[in-house]
Amino acid sequence: MSIINAAFGNANQVHQNLAGILAYILEFMTVNARPILQVLVLPGLAFTLVFAIFAVWFERKFLARAMLRVGPYYCGGRSGVLQVFADFIKLFLKEIIIPSDVNWLLFSLSPVMVSAVPALALVLIPFDANWVMWDIGGLGLPMFLAIMGIAPLMPVFAGWVSNNKYSFIGSWRVAYMYISGEIPLVISAAAVAIMAGSFNLVDIVEAQKNMWFAIPQFIGFIVFFLGVLIESERTPFDIPVAEVELVFGWRTEFSGILFGFTMMAEYVMLQAWALLFITLYLGGYNGPIIMGSIIGSHIFWLLTKFLILVVFIVLLRCVFPRPRMDQMLKIGWNYLTPIALLNLFLVLAMKVWGVI
Amino acid sequence: MAEPEITPELMRISWGPQHPMSGQTRILLDTDGEKVHRIIADLGFTHRGIEKVLENRSLIGGIVPIDRMAMVDTANISIGYVTAAEKALGLEVPERANWIRSLVCEMSRINSHLYAFGLQAEATGYFPAVFLWTTIDREILLDLFEELTGARWSFNFFLPGGVYKDFPEGFADRVVEGVNYLRNRFKDYWNAMIENPMFEMRCDNVAILEPKDALRLGATGPVLRGSGIPVDMRNEEPYAAYADLDWEIITEDACDVMARTKVRFHEIGQSLNMMEQIAKEIPEGEIKTRFSPFARAPEGEHISRVENGRGEMSTHLWTNGTPNPYRVKILPPSLRNMYVFERLAELSHITVADIPVVINSIDPWYLDADR
Repeated sequence: MSIINAAFGNANQVHQNLAGILAYILEFMTVNARPILQVLVLPGLAFTLVFAIFAVWFERKFLARAMLRVGPYYCGGRSGVLQVFADFIKLFLKEIIIPSDVNWLLFSLSPVMVSAVPALALVLIPFDANWVMWDIGGLGLPMFLAIMGIAPLMPVFAGWVSNNKYSFIGSWRVAYMYISGEIPLVISAAAVAIMAGSFNLVDIVEAQKNMWFAIPQFIGFIVFFLGVLIESERTPFDIPVAEVELVFGWRTEFSGILFGFTMMAEYVMLQAWALLFITLYLGGYNGPIIMGSIIGSHIFWLLTKFLILVVFIVLLRCVFPRPRMDQMLKIGWNYLTPIALLNLFLVLAMKVWGVI
Repeated sequence: MAEPEITPELMRISWGPQHPMSGQTRILLDTDGEKVHRIIADLGFTHRGIEKVLENRSLIGGIVPIDRMAMVDTANISIGYVTAAEKALGLEVPERANWIRSLVCEMSRINSHLYAFGLQAEATGYFPAVFLWTTIDREILLDLFEELTGARWSFNFFLPGGVYKDFPEGFADRVVEGVNYLRNRFKDYWNAMIENPMFEMRCDNVAILEPKDALRLGATGPVLRGSGIPVDMRNEEPYAAYADLDWEIITEDACDVMARTKVRFHEIGQSLNMMEQIAKEIPEGEIKTRFSPFARAPEGEHISRVENGRGEMSTHLWTNGTPNPYRVKILPPSLRNMYVFERLAELSHITVADIPVVINSIDPWYLDADR
């Protein structure tokens, strides 16, 4: 006690000072340490990893039920939760085989780039008006689309640098896919920006307080959803890695942890596009306030919507075969692009005549 | 195989044998981007010399190696050999044995078509849900096989002169139960595959094989009937009990991958009807004509033609008065259809993405083709 007295004065003062320290810690955590939390937890490391782990586990277990199987069963009890970790350790410890006639530096760097570039886009997603990791105001949406526009180049490089015929075909399929998918996607996003009157993602979310943009822009909503599936290479549009046609598409030559990175990329792409989809059409973080905490409930609602969307996307995987490359181009250019333009004109007309 | 020359501007892809979908063969594709200009099938990876093995066995001992030609379609393969051996030995088959043979053959045909279906679904890029459904539904048939013959696969059930065993007690009822279960399941397959618009997209107007080309190239089985030509060995040269059963030849006129898939689908329906009819109307009587296992077949040349799940299989048997056959020549359906597959790139527009779909619509069984 004497030490405390010496440090803080009498007991009353101690109480006041402790309260002050606690308040300071709280303030530090919520205001000053927010960047640290953002990097390590929410849009950053933990969220990405936990989502990838959850998504892989859920996909395996859920699809197993669709196939009348049990799925992972032995690691971590009957749920098989630890199977993902076991697989990760296995991938990490496996030998990385580098083909003899490739540039080893580019070869080992490209899978890392494949998963790192789309992860960059996560910094722009608003989890709350005050929880945007990199708030660049009116540049938010264009910046997101710019980063995600670079992302598809990475699989193209990865397939090119593998020096394998299957990887080569796979990488050019990636290029074709993105050309046909990206344009309707950007046009639909432009319609959203026009309706919200801003490129700022926070403003777009705030504009959806009363009505989600999915309702007035139902056409754009559908187009963007298909665009998300195309861009994130999810079934039925997993054409670049079509296992039964090209052995594993642009991923064929990667082994060990490099393969792990390419798998991770699939989920990071899905994560980034799905979060943007929710932000643009499904009201972003908007939702009833629960437990009295505004930031907490906003984050809760965004993550809930995100999980429901991911479950739906996984569900599609057991329902549809995949189209051919030429059919894919036809879907992109003959249907999605004109429909997205139609949506844009409808939104412009609504804006000009002041319907919204 | 000496690889043929390649045009310099094309890229040659070696599709298999180490490929998730290729099976035990190698197919060389000369491609220009996605378009396939030439298909070269390199068979022979699983050659086991079954024809030579048969020369070293007695006529009845031959039923063991012949069963191994196509595990998924065992009964239909072995009935071809057994029918030829009966002709050589001059044996009469009792009527009840013929009906049991037809039952086992039809079950085997369903087994084979189910497998083809599952692979077809997987080849179009279906996540393997449908493949596993078909695999699980096959259990019904395998259980029936086990009950009747004592083995789930490769039952050496057909002997020259009859069958090995009669129906166990209550077997006919369980056949009807199985038929009813499978009929319900096939509604699911119809919805998941034929009715699925994405599946239609992949299969309609792909790999069109005109009837004249099908005849010229010697196509057989569902490939030929998918081109609208009603040829079925069960009808041309009725063996077992097919002359007494009610069934019809299924044909489709679209000539594409979808037509072949539909032919398989409807053939399963016909097979289920036949199974039900056999279970209900099978005549009583003996099940085998006894003969010495070392019986010597007189010198002669005998041919049997039977309809496998994959098409017509002809067995050509020479005997020279010894217990063993002098020479056996088998023309399996998969080999004939592989020649058709090689020419499909010239006959229609095929892309790299179509290759697994097309090859599974042809449905070759490489162990059968290589013998």
